Order: sequence, then structure tokens, then C-alpha cells
Amino acid sequence: MAIKRQDWGLSQRGLKDAARHREKIREFIQKNIADIISDASIITRKKGQIVKVPIRGLKSYRFVFRRESSGGTGMGQGNGEKGDVIGRQPIHGQPGQPGDQPGVDFLETEIDIEELIDMMLEDLGLPNLKKKAFTETAIPKGWKYDSIEKTGIIAHLDKKRTLKEAVKRTAAFVGELMKKTGHSEEVCRRALAIARGDLVRAEKILKERKLEEEVDDFIPLFSEDLRYRTLERDVEYQSNAVVLAMMDVSGSMGTMKKYLARSFFFWLVEFLRQIYNHVQIRFIAHTTEAKLVDEHEFFHKGESGGTFCHSAYDLAIHLAETEYSPSRWNIYPFHFSDGEDFDPLKTVASVKRLMQMGINMLGYGEIRADLYTTSHLMETFAEELHIKKRHLYETDFEIFFGTDESTPFVGAVLKDKSHVYLALKEFLKKDRPF
Amino acid sequence: MDPELKRLSEFDERIQEIARELGLDFFPQEFDAIPAQKMLQVLAYRFPVNFSHWSFGRDYEREKTKYEHGFGIPYELVLNSNPSRAYLMNTNPFTVQVMVMAHVYAHNDFMKNNFHFKPTRRDILPSASEAAIRFQRYEKRFGLEEVERLMDTGLSIEFNIDPDFFIKEENEEQKRERLSTPPRKAEVLGPYDDLISRKKVERPSAEDYNRKTPPEPERDVLLYIINHSPKPLKEWEKDILSVIRDQSRYFMPQRRTKIMNEGWATFWHMKIMDRLFKERLLKEEEHGYYNLYNARVLATSPRTINPYLVGLKIFEDIEDRWNKGRFGREWEECEDPKEKEAWDLELGQGREKIFEVRRSYTDRFFIEHFLREKLVDELELYLYEGRQEAGEIKYVISERDWRRIKNLLVSHLSTFDIPLIMVEDGDYKGKREIYLKHAYEGIELDQEYREKTMKHIFYLWDRPVHLESIVDGKTVIFTFDGSSHSQNPQR
Repeated sequence: MAIKRQDWGLSQRGLKDAARHREKIREFIQKNIADIISDASIITRKKGQIVKVPIRGLKSYRFVFRRESSGGTGMGQGNGEKGDVIGRQPIHGQPGQPGDQPGVDFLETEIDIEELIDMMLEDLGLPNLKKKAFTETAIPKGWKYDSIEKTGIIAHLDKKRTLKEAVKRTAAFVGELMKKTGHSEEVCRRALAIARGDLVRAEKILKERKLEEEVDDFIPLFSEDLRYRTLERDVEYQSNAVVLAMMDVSGSMGTMKKYLARSFFFWLVEFLRQIYNHVQIRFIAHTTEAKLVDEHEFFHKGESGGTFCHSAYDLAIHLAETEYSPSRWNIYPFHFSDGEDFDPLKTVASVKRLMQMGINMLGYGEIRADLYTTSHLMETFAEELHIKKRHLYETDFEIFFGTDESTPFVGAVLKDKSHVYLALKEFLKKDRPF
Repeated sequence: MDPELKRLSEFDERIQEIARELGLDFFPQEFDAIPAQKMLQVLAYRFPVNFSHWSFGRDYEREKTKYEHGFGIPYELVLNSNPSRAYLMNTNPFTVQVMVMAHVYAHNDFMKNNFHFKPTRRDILPSASEAAIRFQRYEKRFGLEEVERLMDTGLSIEFNIDPDFFIKEENEEQKRERLSTPPRKAEVLGPYDDLISRKKVERPSAEDYNRKTPPEPERDVLLYIINHSPKPLKEWEKDILSVIRDQSRYFMPQRRTKIMNEGWATFWHMKIMDRLFKERLLKEEEHGYYNLYNARVLATSPRTINPYLVGLKIFEDIEDRWNKGRFGREWEECEDPKEKEAWDLELGQGREKIFEVRRSYTDRFFIEHFLREKLVDELELYLYEGRQEAGEIKYVISERDWRRIKNLLVSHLSTFDIPLIMVEDGDYKGKREIYLKHAYEGIELDQEYREKTMKHIFYLWDRPVHLESIVDGKTVIFTFDGSSHSQNPQR
């Protein structure tokens, strides 16, 4: 008889190798983080969510024919005439790249947003940034009690601690008397009370007479029991940096452009929140006028209308004058637009004023995701601000930067998703002259 | 013994009797009823126990996720071994289990008797579990990354082996001798001798062959690399590559006879089930279950062909044609549809014919010889193409002409969807670089996969890797030199 129904102890091999595969995916994510961070599903996530990274499992490479999805031919069965559509499939990733197995994909890697950020921080070398670019300052908050001492002024007497010391000492005295005279604890305690705490006298009393009278409970207090508190200046360490996130939300900022700016700001905010507990971030949305909005509105609302970029910088100046004095705050304004500005020279003037106020760094990102925009604010900046330009990493990503402390300006021209990461890298780079 | 298992083994006895009566000839059969988890693992690892690799882990997880999302799991899985081992899902309803057992006996018969299975290792199961233990030791000694890297490369060319391995293996010396020996002259001159060309054929001398490695284009790329890599490969590396090659060879006959094997098993499980119902061993109400599951086995899907259905219909058609004598010149030349419709020579050779076909054919010739217009129509086969439009891929029926469909199927099956790559020269430019050639048959190679695979080969060969192929109708030589890819002529 050859039919068995064995009790299968579940082998761990499958689970172990699956874990190894996930580990390799993680390495893959780390290598391809630039693409992954600009993914839409990450940007629009809700707080606390886990990010699903659309990795379809690592491919097993071998020689294969081109697939149906990239122009090859497949074979099927069923009704239908030539030309009939028999199926549809959304394109993931780059077209022309076949998946390991065609059809529905069942592997999706879940990854914690914090973990993703850790990977980015590691990759960017950002932990150093903590010490350098955004230094923490000590702010006096008043006084606080620090340690307990045996000497001090009477105003700082710590009654509770003093009493505690006295009780401890009295107990020791009673113990001593019991040992020396052989009387009970009750009797020794009474003798000590009658002797007003004097150990020698109490011993004498115990030897001389019987103690029959009732005595009130008494804890004798000596000067060596006294305890005083000391005071210290109280200081709070704060990062005291404020990021002024500014963005053009006008009509000319198309979906793709807004998406790029949102990606950048999203990650900037996540970074800073990850590193500092006390970074303030203010969101300024502008069209022809600028206004303070909350984070949600900043990322999710769009308006129609023209564009005056200076309005955002003017509001930043106003904030620096009122709420965030440059003497106490490190100020980091970051502005994104598509380069369209109805009055670029006025913007330049505002930028200059803002820089003269002693801000730490001014970041400007210009998004040119299409060819329709004709005016480029960055070009005006380049002409008017004495800044240098350079191409980066053999890409078409352009970066502009000031060369001394009087022009703490970093500008970037973003043309596609991959530039978001490059821009972040440049804006957050340490060791700039300013 | 649990009553269901008892009833199942009674059926097992009866199925065997019926199967033998019907002419099936099989190895002793062992069944294991296993839970889903185990089935998923066998699916992913190809064997009940096999060595560790992340790609098996990936497949395991993928299968598991699919299963958890309600996608089907196979009812059975049969391994080609002696005795034959079959795994049955322990969740199969009773009637389905009976059907699956009948199905398994026909697979068993096929694998025992099909010519292409003859040289396979029937002791593959213990050898796979031994390899698992050895490889674990290698991991400890040489590090996971090292071992994994080597497996990655070996698995990347696991299918680039010689599918016709039942032909005696020769070493290079034997090959050179065969190639440089002139064919013997016919000794007796017959009346038609003058029809045979007497022109002397220039043959390369033995010396020419001596210089060349491989002496003739080599289809077994993996073996050639194991034996000739100038790296040179260490013993443990050769061991791993050889195990990968052995396993790939083991599965080669299955890959080459998928349609036939499944068609054959379906053909017989239906016959055996009919008998069991006729004998009233299975109850009326169990008939419903059987019909439902059998229909699932034979269901069609829009973007792939069902080998169970296609194979079944062809075998049924062969049996019918050979029973009625619908073959040969007279049948082919008959053009009267009415006469053809009624054609029946009452030869009764159908059974005999299908057994002959199961003995000597592979899918490629099975389709080429027996897939005819009527069947293409009945099976509703078509070709389709993927077209990219507005952010999605649209799959569109592109061909319903039966000849084109058949041609494509035959050409797919001749390489069974694996591009044929051969080693042309293992000493290219006299610098021991390797020169591979893709035997182009109308479909180009995928670029991303080609580049990554060449990288893998470089790791094994440690010298530049060249690959000749066709792009846009022109011959192109791709090269990977260890750091970058190039091609000649350039685009």
C-alpha cells in the first residue's frame, strides 16, 4: 500500500531563503533609493503608514526572448477576432522591461518610512549634518535645583531630607543604647528623649534610674543633620532652526512640477523631523500673493493665478523681522517655482534683502518639467547674484551656488524625478562656505 | 487506518488494474498526501529537499502569496523517479483525489516509456538532498556571498545545455576524431551509383580541429564552461555548477513534453474515471465533483495555452484518425468534403498509434505532425501582441491563421522558449575569450536580460564574453569586457 499521509514538520528552508531574498531586495532599494523616494505612493502616504515599495522580486537573469509586452508575440485560447483586446495591464517601471514572470505581481516589499529615511541618511552622510549645519544653541531658562549639600544658606534648607537624616541618626543612637545597657528599644527611646538627644546623658539616665514616666515622641535635631539644596542656572538646548518652505502654487505650476516640488519638500520635512525634535517649519504658498498655510494645505492645494515670487520672499523677511530673529534663529528659506515670475528683478531685490538679514542658507529649486515655460527666474538670479554654475554627476542636473558668506545661495534646476534626490543632496550638503 | 485513506487505497488498487488493462506500463507508485505549505515548497524548490538559494525563497513566497490570495494550487506533482513519487494536496476532495491518482499513473507510464526520459537520473531525489548538505558546508567555508554569487551565475545559464543529451557524450578528443574521419565509401556500386555525387568534399584536417575549441559549436554552454573556464574554477565551484546542470538535465524531458505528458495523463484519467463510474465504485453525487474539477483542468485562458486541453485533443484526434484510417496519401489527396466526412476504413489502429507517439515524440514533433486546422479551430488558438498605449499594455489578438499559429508554436517548442546559444570559440582571438552565438530563429533576445547574463558568464569565464546575435535583421556582436558592454557594429 503506497498512500501515505505523513506528518510534515515544516522545514524552515523556504522561510529562510525568502528572508534572504527580502534582504537582497533591501540592498537593492538602498542602491536605487533615488527612484524610490520620488514614487507617488510614498509622497501621498498618511502618517504612520508603511510604504509599499513596488519591487517585484529580484529577477533571475538568463537569456530570454523579448516578451509580448515589449513587442513580442504570445499565444492564447478563446473566442475573439483579430484585433480584439484580450487583456490590459498597467505599465510599471520603465517600458520595455519584462518582469521576471509576466502577469500579476504578488511580491511587494513593505518598508517602514523611518527605515527608508535611515537608508537615505546613511547614503547622504547626513548624521554629520547635525553637528555642522544646524547647530544647537543653549538657551537660559532660569534656575533649577541641582544637588544636596551639607552646607548652605537657611533659605535653601531641605526640610524633608534634614528630617530623614535626623530619623536615621536617632535610630542609630537607640541601637547603640540598647547594645550598651541591655534595655528594651522602648526604654532607650524614652531615655534619649529625656536627655534631649544627648547620647552620653541618656546612657547615664538609664544606669541611674528606672524610667516610668510617659514621654512624648521626640526626634532630636543636630546641626549635622541639616541638608541644603543648591541652585544652578537652567539651560535648554534647542536646535532653533526654522525652515521657511515656500512654493509657487499658481496655475503655471503643472501637475508634474508640483509633484516634484512636493517630493522635495516632503523629504526635506521628513529629514529634518527625523534629525531634530525642535525644528520649526513654516509653509508659505504663493501666487501673486503669499500666505502662511499648514502642511496639508501646502502639499495638497493648488490655486490659479499669476506669479510674483517676491511676495514669498517678502513674507519670509517679515517673519524674520517679527517671529524669527536671526540672532536667535538659524533660518533656512527654501523656495520652489517653475521659473515663471512676473517681476524677477523685484524678486532679486527681496532675495538680496533676505540674505543680508543673516539667514543661514537660501535654497531655490526651479522645476523645468516641460518646455512651455519661457522665463527662468534662475537665469535672472545667475546674472544678478554673483553665483557659480556647474553640471552634476554627468547628468543634466544644474546646480548654482554662492561662493562666500554674503551670498548663502544654493539653486538647482530640476528636470525630472531623479533630480529630487540630487537637489536634496546639494541643499543639505555640509562644508559650504556659508 | 482512517476510513477515507482506506477507501482511497482500495481505489488505488482498482485504478492500477484498470490502467494495466488499458495498456499503461508504470513504475511502482508512491503517493504522499501533503499540506499546502509543503506543496508550495516542493513547487519552489523543484524537489522535496533541495539546496538553498534566494530565488527559490522568492518563488516560495510568491507561490504562497498567490495561494493565500485564493489562486489555485496544483492538485498533484509527480517526480520522475523509480519508484515514482507523487504529492497530492491533502485538501483535494475525495473524488478529485481519485481523479488525480489516475492522472498520476498515466504520467508515470509516460515517464517510464517516453524515449526522451530514458537517460534521466532516477535517483535525483537523494542526490538533491545530498547536494543541499554539501552546499551548506561550502557556505560555512567560503561564505554565503561567494556561494550565492556562483549559484546566481550557474542558474543564469542552467537552460543553456544540450537538450539531446541521450546522444552519447563525447569529450573533445572523440569529437575531433569523429569530425576529421572521412565517411566510408560505399563498397558496392549499384545501378544508380552515378546519381551519387562523386565530388570530393574538402574536409578540414585533424590538425585544423586540433586547434579549435570547441571542435564544433557546443550547445552545452554550462558544461563547456565547467570543463574549460580559464578562471580556473575551483572544485567546489565545479560541484555546484554540475549539480545545477544535472538538475536542469533532469527536468529537460519534462520541459520538452509538457503538452504531450499532460494531454496523455488527462486522456487516461478521463478513461479510468469513466470506468470507475460505470462500475459504480464512485457514487452518483461524486460525479458532480468530478465534472467540476475536470472542467477546471480543461479551462482555457486568454493569454496562455492550456497544455492539458491541447494535448488531450490532439491525442483524441490521433486515436480517431488512426481508427478510421484518416491518414496517408489517399486521405491527404481526397478533396471531396462529403467523402472525407464519412471516411472510415475501420482500421482500429488508434490505440496502437497513440502508444507509439507517447514512446517516441516530443512536443515539437507532436505539434508539427498532428496539430491540424480543425484542431486549431476547435481549440480556439490565436496569437496576440502587447501594445503600449496611454500608460498601459493592451493585449490584442494579432493572428488567427492556423498555419502561422502552428509555425510559431513549433518554433517556440523547438527551443521550448529558451534561446539557443552555442559556444563557437573558447579561444577567441587566441586570447581565451569566449565567443557565443545565438542561433537566431526570428525572435530577438531581451537586452536587459542578455546584458546581465553576459555579466554572469564573465564571472565564470573571467575573460571578455562575446555574443553574436541579430538585431533589426542585422548581425551584431555584443561584448562584455568585465566593466562595460559594447556592440559591433555600433548603433
